[in-house]
Amino acid sequence: MKIAVVGKGGAGKTTTSAVLARTLGRRGARVVALDCDTNPNLGLSLGVGDSETERLLTLREEVGDGAADHAPTWEDILDRYGADAPDGVRLSVITRIENPEPG
Amino acid sequence: MSVTGSLAESASMIRVAFVGKGGAGKSTIAGTFARLLARRGQPVLALDSDPMPGLPYSLGVGVDDHPIPDDVVVAGPEGGPRWVLRPGLDAAAIVDRYAARCPDGVRYLQFGNLWGHVVRLQQAQHAWSQVVEELDRDSWHLVGDLPGGTRQAMFGWGKYADTVCVVVEPTVKSMHTARRLLTLSGARWGPSRLVLVVNKARDGSDAARVSERLGLEAAAVVPHDGTAGRADRRGAAPLDSAPGGPLAGAVDGLVDHVVSLYSLGREVTQ
Repeated sequence: MKIAVVGKGGAGKTTTSAVLARTLGRRGARVVALDCDTNPNLGLSLGVGDSETERLLTLREEVGDGAADHAPTWEDILDRYGADAPDGVRLSVITRIENPEPG
Repeated sequence: MSVTGSLAESASMIRVAFVGKGGAGKSTIAGTFARLLARRGQPVLALDSDPMPGLPYSLGVGVDDHPIPDDVVVAGPEGGPRWVLRPGLDAAAIVDRYAARCPDGVRYLQFGNLWGHVVRLQQAQHAWSQVVEELDRDSWHLVGDLPGGTRQAMFGWGKYADTVCVVVEPTVKSMHTARRLLTLSGARWGPSRLVLVVNKARDGSDAARVSERLGLEAAAVVPHDGTAGRADRRGAAPLDSAPGGPLAGAVDGLVDHVVSLYSLGREVTQ
């Protein structure tokens, strides 16, 4: 199951995503929560806390600045750019490659 | 009351942009700010760079899709910008023709709404950016509204502003976004002044908590009195539905504060 949550700012996308993810986790599903927002706050709603949310953002910025490498595989993304959230949810803050090298 | 020559000559015009998390109340406060400044006899141009704009509602302009037509730009010279303003059209003429007329004399410039892919707005966006860049600095006070979050702000869409108002509601998520936005002062286009506005404050402790966490005093505290929410449900401007309400009062105080930052003198302080 792959679910994306969209809507106007302030409508409750992040809150809805977090509750969905944790509810699915409580029912025994293996859940990955991906924060694709340019201003990622999903960690706060999942309950991983302010400093961990900030840490994931900093990690992503290091990738954006070229100070850290992109993750080559999904497992690697979840491992290196992720954090454990309650109810077994794994959170990862991700970004797309803005200027991929040709070829 | 009209702008005096001495005012336009002696003091710079206000150039303010509102940023913050989605739903924090940027558009509500920006639109109200623009109208209250205009009521002081000032020429105000409201700028919207949100492709799904909320600003028209708080301005009370009555239309939400008011695009700049694509044909105001033509293909630019080889090696130059992709689009340039059509020969014979300058920034002032575009504002005159295509900025919507709002209550209290505010004019309002947007790209047009994004109903499909972003490509549709390319020409209008180029036109908008060029107008904002080339507009005579003495003709208008600029009051801008950016989309929620940090993306546009970090990419310099508010660089016309020398004052940036960070609107924050007393939630951890909103403060998280605000803290990122406060780093804008270090950006290449960095505004010279950052002003904190606490919105939807339920009591005095809300504003204190936000100020403490962000390390900045609030220039204005807008109470959560329900009028903005009720106006939103009807698509009405808070200034029209609750003209004497606490929101209007708090934003008028914010106008006072910003005016004082520019030393605009008594002419604009009512």
